[in-house]
Amino acid sequence: MDEMLRVAVVGDGTSVAGFRPLGFEVFPVREPVDARELWSTLTDGSYAVVMVTEPVWAEIADLAAEVIDNAIPAVTVIPGAGSPGGVGQEKLDHAIERALGTTSFIREEGE
Amino acid sequence: MPKLRVNPNRMELMKLRKRRTTAQRGHKLLKDKLDELMKEFLGRIGRTRALRSSVEKELAAAYGLVAIARAEAGRANLAQALSSGEPLDLIEVSERNVMSVRIPEFSVMELGQPGTYSLAETPAVLDSALGSLATVAPRLIKLAEREKAIELLAAEIERTRRRVNALEHVLIPQLTEAIRDITMKLEEAERGNLTRLMKVKDIIAAQEVANNEAAAKKAGRASE
Repeated sequence: MDEMLRVAVVGDGTSVAGFRPLGFEVFPVREPVDARELWSTLTDGSYAVVMVTEPVWAEIADLAAEVIDNAIPAVTVIPGAGSPGGVGQEKLDHAIERALGTTSFIREEGE
Repeated sequence: MPKLRVNPNRMELMKLRKRRTTAQRGHKLLKDKLDELMKEFLGRIGRTRALRSSVEKELAAAYGLVAIARAEAGRANLAQALSSGEPLDLIEVSERNVMSVRIPEFSVMELGQPGTYSLAETPAVLDSALGSLATVAPRLIKLAEREKAIELLAAEIERTRRRVNALEHVLIPQLTEAIRDITMKLEEAERGNLTRLMKVKDIIAAQEVANNEAAAKKAGRASE
């Protein structure tokens, strides 16, 4: 499956603007909830990576859960400008919990 | 746990024994697969966590620079400067097979080159902001790849664990129970048969004794 695909960045205008000159496809949204309408475009198979800012992730987490078992797109949470961070780590913890039934064991190891 | 309803005969017993052997072999294989998946999974977690926290830090620093650039140039100027650039097909996607989990691998082609904006109207800090975003971008894509791999492995681990548990705690005990039931039923039938035969033998022997006695009495009376 060697094919060339794009990278999408979804978030508020301030956070995503800087990615455009790098060749990423940016989807600035006024309100995080607007990203729900974009979701079908983002999952149509032309994007390998979809980066979403934390406020957007909060709105689309249920939609993202539907494609979690597909190879693409890889949905990644990035901290937006002005959001505290940590949501991406939570998402990772969720996967760990799914596999191991707990995250405490890994946490102890990491700290 | 519901009991298997089976006919207690030898044919069924043979079938069940064969099924149990297959189930046990499958259970062992799946358990080995689960162990290997776990090893792969645990190995990846630490690296991914470290990558995520460093990427988040770098990204926050880059956002800081963009914010300064916006403050210096004004929102409109900055928006205009950043409106250049076309979305590119940046990533070559290939697949790797890890314990029959198909994990995507992304290799990043050349990123777009920022710099098609007016240097006179934008502050110098914008260059360093875009520079730091360009540095963090490949690492962001690497992070996406690793997180996806972890998610896919987690899903496979969950599925495999369910199968292992279903075999270990449901199917194999059910089959063992059914085999035990049939063996006991057959043994009981065998014992019943044996007892009946012994009983019949006793009856026949008793009849023969009675017949012999009767014959002897008859012969005695005749000789008198």
